[in-house]
Amino acid sequence: MYYQLINFGDEEFYAYPNKSLYWKRLNTLIVSDLHIGKSISYAKNKQFLPPYDTKEILNELFVSLDEIKPSNLIIVGDLLHDIFSTLSLKDQDHKNISQYMENTDFIWIKGNHDKNIQIEGFKNFTNYEIDKFLFTHIPIETPLFQICGHYHPKVKIVHRGKTIFKTSFVHNEKIFILPSFGILTGGLDINSKEISDVLGKKNLNIYPVGQDKVYKL
Amino acid sequence: MNINKSNPLLLHPLNKWMKKKKWSWFPHQIETFHHVRTGSDVVVFAPTGAGKTLTGFINPIDDLIKLKKFKGLHTLYISPLKSLANDIVRNLEKPIKELDLNISFQVRTGDITPYKKQKQKQNPPNIIITTPESLALLNSYENAKEFFHNLKYIIIDEIHTFLDNKRADLLSLNIERLQTFSPNLQRIGLSATLKNKQDAKKWLCRKKPKIISYENSVLPKIKILETKERIPWSGHMATYSINEIYKEIMKSKLTIIFVNTRAQAEYMFKNLWLINKKKLKIAVHHGSLEKNLRLKVENNLSKGLVDCVVATSSLELGLDYGDVEKIIQVGAPKGINRLLQRVGRSNHNLNTPSKAILIPTNRFEFIEAKAAIEEIKNNNLDKIDLKEGSFDVVAQHIFATACSGQFDISDLYKEIIKAYPYKKLKLNDFKQLINLIQDGGYVLKNYDQFKRIFQLRENKNIYKLVNRRETRKYRMNVGTIIENPMLRIKLGTKTLGNIEEVFIQNLSQGDSFIFAGQVLEFQSMKNNLVQVKRSKSLISKIPSYSGGRMPLSTNLANSVRTLLAKSNMRDLYPDQITEWLKRQKNISKIPKKDEYLVEQFPRKKNFYTVIYTFAGWHANQTLGFLLLRGFKEFNYKPLGFVANDYAIVLWSLKEVKEIKKILNIGLLDKHLDNYLEETSIVKRLFRDNAIISCLIERRLPGMEKTGKQVLFSSDLIYTVLKKNEPDHILLKSSYEDAKKNMIDYNRLREILKKIDKKIILKKLTSISPLAVPIILEINRENLSKKETDEYILEDLENEILKEANVLSIN
Repeated sequence: MYYQLINFGDEEFYAYPNKSLYWKRLNTLIVSDLHIGKSISYAKNKQFLPPYDTKEILNELFVSLDEIKPSNLIIVGDLLHDIFSTLSLKDQDHKNISQYMENTDFIWIKGNHDKNIQIEGFKNFTNYEIDKFLFTHIPIETPLFQICGHYHPKVKIVHRGKTIFKTSFVHNEKIFILPSFGILTGGLDINSKEISDVLGKKNLNIYPVGQDKVYKL
Repeated sequence: MNINKSNPLLLHPLNKWMKKKKWSWFPHQIETFHHVRTGSDVVVFAPTGAGKTLTGFINPIDDLIKLKKFKGLHTLYISPLKSLANDIVRNLEKPIKELDLNISFQVRTGDITPYKKQKQKQNPPNIIITTPESLALLNSYENAKEFFHNLKYIIIDEIHTFLDNKRADLLSLNIERLQTFSPNLQRIGLSATLKNKQDAKKWLCRKKPKIISYENSVLPKIKILETKERIPWSGHMATYSINEIYKEIMKSKLTIIFVNTRAQAEYMFKNLWLINKKKLKIAVHHGSLEKNLRLKVENNLSKGLVDCVVATSSLELGLDYGDVEKIIQVGAPKGINRLLQRVGRSNHNLNTPSKAILIPTNRFEFIEAKAAIEEIKNNNLDKIDLKEGSFDVVAQHIFATACSGQFDISDLYKEIIKAYPYKKLKLNDFKQLINLIQDGGYVLKNYDQFKRIFQLRENKNIYKLVNRRETRKYRMNVGTIIENPMLRIKLGTKTLGNIEEVFIQNLSQGDSFIFAGQVLEFQSMKNNLVQVKRSKSLISKIPSYSGGRMPLSTNLANSVRTLLAKSNMRDLYPDQITEWLKRQKNISKIPKKDEYLVEQFPRKKNFYTVIYTFAGWHANQTLGFLLLRGFKEFNYKPLGFVANDYAIVLWSLKEVKEIKKILNIGLLDKHLDNYLEETSIVKRLFRDNAIISCLIERRLPGMEKTGKQVLFSSDLIYTVLKKNEPDHILLKSSYEDAKKNMIDYNRLREILKKIDKKIILKKLTSISPLAVPIILEINRENLSKKETDEYILEDLENEILKEANVLSIN
C-alpha cells in the first residue's frame, strides 16, 4: 500500500489512504472513530441507512491487519457508535476478531460514543501511554505528544476556482488527529472553531486522503 | 326558451354579474358547463384572457347555489404556485361578493398559519384553493376520508405545467386517493393550448373524457431586433444590443425583459443601469430573490409603477399584468410553448395581438429565433412528453397513506395503477417500495426491530404505522421539489435572497458579486447565513445557478434544421448572417433537413471532429461522453469535448478515420452504463430520490439540516449501496430518472438509430464558419468529479513542491 511518511514527535509514522496510521518502530497500527453500527443506531430513529457499514469497516480493518501484521492495534476512541451497535456485530464477526487477537493486542481507548460498552477480548483504556506519546480520544492537558481522534477532520481546498473537501490527517507540534475510519461518518472542517481550539490555526501539517494516496499540503 | 337551450348559462347564477360587467360567455364556457353537468371529466384548452379561471368554477358555483347552504367541502382547486392561489381567491371573491352568494372559499398553502389550518379542518369551506403539496398533506391526515367524502369537483389549473415531472406524479396519485374517498368526484383541467391534447386528457380524465378547446385567432406580433451592431459568434449576454434594448424600453409604457437564467437577469439588469440616463424605473425578478422583494416587484408591476422588469421564468405563469405593452426575449427561445407563454404576458386583451421582440445573443440563436417565429405563425406547438411515473414519489405516497391510517396493500396498489403515470407499475416494484418505507428495503434484514410500518399479524395485507410520531416526519418532508443547497444572503439585518452554496464556497472575504441588482462584498459565512455589505467595486462575479439550462425542444430543433436548409437566405436573414452561411456553403456544406453534417479538420496540434446534431444540450452532452469513449476504444487519443444545443466538438491527438463505425446506435448500448457510472449524474439524482422517498430527511423536527450535510451523507449511502446492493429499488429509480431527464435517452436513441445512413462527412483543411461558435465554447475541462478531485490535489501538491524547491535553492 502506498503511504505518506509523517514525522511527529521525532518518530516516523506511515499514513495510509484507508485512513489508518502505522508506527513502524513499535509495529503498531492506529485507527480512530470507526463508528461501527452507526446504521443500526440510526435505524432506531427510522433513518434506514444501508446496513453494510459494519461489514465494510471490519473488512477494511482485516485487510490492514493481514498486510501489516501489527503487534498492537490501538483504537483511539469511538469504535462503536452506541449501545445498539453491538446488534450489528454477528457471531462470525466476533469469531474473526478473536482470530486476529491471537497475534495482535487490541487496545480500545474509549471515546464519547462507546464509553460504557464492553466487547470480549478487548483491553479497555481511557488513555494509553507509550514512551513520550499519549493515545487518547480527546486531547487533554499534558506535556506528552498526543495522538487522538474524535473530530473527523476534513480540509477545504480552493484551487483554480474549484472547491473540494477532503478527509485529512492533521497535526501541529504536539497533537495529531486521525481521520475517521468509518464509512457513514461525516467530517468537520479543520478551520472550524472546535478543531482550531485544539490545534490552533497556524503551523498545521495537513495530509488530505485521496483515492489511492495520501497527499501533503 | 330556445335561447336558454342553446346557452344554458343564461340561467346561471353568475349571468347577472356577467351582464353587469358587459361580458358575454365564451363558447368553451358553455361547452364546459354542458359536459360537466352531464357527468364528463374535461380538459379545457384556452389562451390567457379567455376566462379560464371562471370556466373552472361555473359548475361548482351552479351546484352550490342549487344545493342551498351546502355544509362542508365541495370543490378543490389546485394551482401550481402559491402566489397564483392567492390571485385565484381574489378573482373568485369578486362575483361571489357582488352577487352576495352563500358560498365560502379559502386558500390553503404553506403560507397560512397552523391555527387557520386547524380551523379549516374542523369547519371546511365549500371551496379550497391549494397546491399539490398541500393536497398531499391533507390526504395524510387521519380524518382525510371524512374530510373529502362529499367532494364533487377537483379543478387543476395550468395543467400543462403538471404533465411531465414528479409534481405531476404526486398530484396524479393524490387525485386517485380523492376518487377513492369520493367516487362521484369529477375532474376539470384547465390548460394553455397544447399540441398533444389527447395526452392531457388521458392523464386526467376517467369519466366520459372530453376535450374542450378554444383557439385564439389573433396571432402575436413577434419580430427579431433589427440591429446595427455585429451579432457575436458566441456568448449569451447580449451586450452588443444593450443600447438598442434601452431604446425599446423607452418606446413602451411597460416592458418585461425575459432572460433564460438568473445570471443573465443580474447581468442584464446591471448593464441597463449603467446606461440608464433617463432614470427609468427598472427592476429585477428571479426565483432566488427573497419573497418580499419579489412581491414588491410584482405589486409595482401590476400597478404600473415601473417601466421595465428583467425576469426569468419566475414571471412566466399566472398573474395578470394588464398594462404590459411589450415583451423582450433575450436569448434563444428554446421551445415554442415557452416563447408563447412569455409573449402572452403582454396585453391580456384577446382581440389585440401581443407584441414581442426577440434578441438573439449569438448567430445560431438568430436562426433559432427566426424558426420559432415561423412555427408560431404555423401554430406548430411543442409536444409535452408524458413520462412514466417515478418510484420515489410512490414511496412518499405510501408513507403518506400510512400516516392517514392502516391500509390494505392490494387496495393501494389497485388505486395507484389507476393514475396515468403508474399504469405500468409492476406489483413487484410496488412491494419493494413498501419495503423501502418499512425499513429501507435492504436484502440484509438488520432492522427487524426498527420498522416504520408493519404487517398486522392477523392480516398480512394490512400495514400500519409503528407510531404516530412518524407522521410529523412525513409532513416535514412532503413534496418533490428538491433545491440545490442554498445559503441566505443578509445585508445588515435584511435578507436579500438565496444563493447556491457552491458559489459562495469559491469566494474569499472581500470578493464582490452581483445579487438582487446590487454589487455586494462577501464578508463572512456563519450558520448558513452569508453576511455581505454594499460594494463600489466595478469588477464583480455573477453567481452561477446550476439547473437553469433548458434544452432546445425537438420540435423547434426540427424547424431550425428546415430553416437552415432553405436557399433564399437573403430574404430570411440580415447581411451578416447571410454572409456567414454563404461562406459555410462554399467552404463546407449546409446540411439538409434530415442530414447530419460531420466536419473534420486539423487545428493547432490536434484533430477536430464537429457533429451537428441539433439534439439539445442534454442529449449532446451525453453523446459527447459516449463518443469520447468510442474514440478511446479506436485509439484516436481523444482529449476532450464541448457540447451545446446544436453541435458537439471533440478534439483528439490522432485523426479520427472511421467516424461512421463509432457514431451509430451501438455506441449507446456499449458505453451508456459506464458513462452513468462515471459521471455524478446518477449520484446526484440518488440524493433527490433518497429525500423524496423519505429514506433520508431533508428536515428534522426542530432543526434544519444544511444542504451540505444532506449531500454528503447521501453520497456515502449511494457508494455503500452501489457496492453491496446494486439492485436496490432506489438505485433503479435514480437510473430511470437519469434516463428520463438528465441525458435525454429517448431523443438520443431516435437520432442514433438512423444517423449512420445520413452522415455527410466533410474533411476540411481548417475550421468552418459554422464550427466557429462551438470552438469558441471550448474552455472547460471535461473530467469526471473523481478525476477532478485527484487532479486538484496533485496539481496543488506539485505547485507547493516547486515552491519548496525554489526556496531550498535560494
